[in-house]
Amino acid sequence: MQSKLKKVFSSKEGVLFVIFVLIFILMSILSPHKFLSNYNIQSLAYQLPEFGILSLSMMLIIMTGGINLSLTFTATLSMIVGGLAMSSSFESTGMAFLSVLIGVVIMLLVSAVLGMFNGLVVSYIGVTPMLATLGASTLFEGISLNITKGGAISGFPFMFLNIGNSAILGIPVPMIIFIVVLVYMWILLEKSRMGAAIVMIGCNPKVAEYSGIRVKKILFQTYIISGILAGIAGIIMASRYNSAKESYGSSYLLQSVAASVLGGTNISGGEGKVLGTLLAAMILQIISSGLNIFGLNRYLTNVLMGFILILVLAINFITDYLKKNK
Amino acid sequence: MFKKLRKVKELPLIIVLVVISIFIAIVNPSFLTVENFLDLLKSNLVLAMMALGMLLILLTGGIDVSAASVITAVNVILGQTLMHVTQNILFAIVVACAAGIIMGLINGLLISMLKIPPIVATLGTMSMILGIVLYTTNGNWITGIPQNFIDFGRIVILPRTLADGRVIGIPIQVVFLIPIIVLTWFVLRHTVIGRGIYAMGGNIESAERMGFKTKRIIIFVYSLEGFIIGLSAVAHTSIMRQVDPNAFLGFEMQVIAAVVLGGASTLGGYGSVLGTLIGVSIFSVINNGMILMRIPTFWQKIAVGLIIISSISVDMIQKQKEEKMKVCVDVEGEELYAV
Repeated sequence: MQSKLKKVFSSKEGVLFVIFVLIFILMSILSPHKFLSNYNIQSLAYQLPEFGILSLSMMLIIMTGGINLSLTFTATLSMIVGGLAMSSSFESTGMAFLSVLIGVVIMLLVSAVLGMFNGLVVSYIGVTPMLATLGASTLFEGISLNITKGGAISGFPFMFLNIGNSAILGIPVPMIIFIVVLVYMWILLEKSRMGAAIVMIGCNPKVAEYSGIRVKKILFQTYIISGILAGIAGIIMASRYNSAKESYGSSYLLQSVAASVLGGTNISGGEGKVLGTLLAAMILQIISSGLNIFGLNRYLTNVLMGFILILVLAINFITDYLKKNK
Repeated sequence: MFKKLRKVKELPLIIVLVVISIFIAIVNPSFLTVENFLDLLKSNLVLAMMALGMLLILLTGGIDVSAASVITAVNVILGQTLMHVTQNILFAIVVACAAGIIMGLINGLLISMLKIPPIVATLGTMSMILGIVLYTTNGNWITGIPQNFIDFGRIVILPRTLADGRVIGIPIQVVFLIPIIVLTWFVLRHTVIGRGIYAMGGNIESAERMGFKTKRIIIFVYSLEGFIIGLSAVAHTSIMRQVDPNAFLGFEMQVIAAVVLGGASTLGGYGSVLGTLIGVSIFSVINNGMILMRIPTFWQKIAVGLIIISSISVDMIQKQKEEKMKVCVDVEGEELYAV
């Protein structure tokens, strides 16, 4: 029993969990009335899913040895196109349910197509992921700006707002979506053959190719999944903000890389855990919201986030170094 | 002559640049005026300098996403130094370079000593540096740069008076750009460190076995990039005559894109000074051309994105074709490759 516990707490996820609990306790002690308030816990539960889903999407791509810099613009472009369809169909027909359905389906479709585009360029043409997605991010941003002309798309039916703002049996709807995504990702990476293939591609694509894995096909599919996940995050964001704009969530881009890396994902691929990324996203989220409650300047919050990222990696390096020397 | 030309690796890039230029010149002849060319030079000088710095980093197989934050920070430090410490331009330049070097050094130490992957390390420093800059300035512009510095920024070399009385000439800021071009070219072409930089980008372990001190090279490269960014900040501030803490938001991606357009690989080992300069030129000619052709700004991003993706894709497809054309011949156990 004791050795089992020891094993749990010496794993990367265990350490992250301990850090999470410590920060949570620290925040609660420092500000018991505000941080532990029902309102704050609620708002945390509504904010976490969009960031968490984007982080998982980023993690998936990083595991293949790539990076997806077009992640947030995939989310916003799909929400803009879908949002436009939704609001115009609502305006012309007045049928709320139908419009929401059309909007959501289009958002998911567009995000899948954008993912497909990235996948095509990366896997079949063979462009380095960083460049392909960098170009794609400029492209997607440009298309979004062209549609919105710099403004925001609004006029969604009231029903659509339920996705991001209501709760079923006391559990926020975004949280339910997030849990479904988490379970899906866990099954994909830990239990499916595709997950094993992703890990192998991340370790060494050539070896994977020679061991009979269709590297191009798997990569292509991975980018589509990443795109759809971004689309789901986009739906939640559009619903929470009751509008669609190209700049929504742009700060999540680099934060999602940070969450993946903090969660133990190897930036050069081949390694990654759903649980680790979830815990890392939770840590980043409570830090930013906790510091916000203390009234710390939001710029200083950025400073602290950067510091934590580097600190954790430095600690990782030192513990690895000590282990090796033993 | 033609055979020699065909060996120049940057030839396809040059052709792209020429084709785009001809196209723009046909649509709007004012593209080919000396005035427009000088404008182009002035507005893309900083991009060119930072791209050369980034080239060094990409060649080692690293990446620096903190570049834009570093130049913002140096701009602020430079502005404050000029306003509150001294009006001596030379002193201010030294301060700016020192600030750049220190920030580059921090990146280099994190990457070489703590073995933090470059993209993550610079992501962290980016977040920290930008946070500190925005906290101290509150996002406000710094205006009121001393007049002598503004006058310095307005100096033109080889002035020529136009018919309408305006004076045009080569902007003084090229005195920063040209030494940087020569410096990076010299380092990459004629020094042992330069060999090491290319070797590292190819394969870091073999570079180490060959005897290159890769840790020292990393620290040197990031510091040198910091120095270049410091000078870029001086050039930028002297052109803009004020400091806007938000001016460089997302600029790091533009810099990386320009370098990559110039044929450098983000995986390291490939890239040249000439290629990078051509990449920057293509980038700036497109941006300038779209303004001259009166294309709405929203379309410009789409065009830039498409150009990045398509040019790299074409390059990739060509490389794959070349690979396929290589025939592997096995002669008495020795593998020979014939093209």
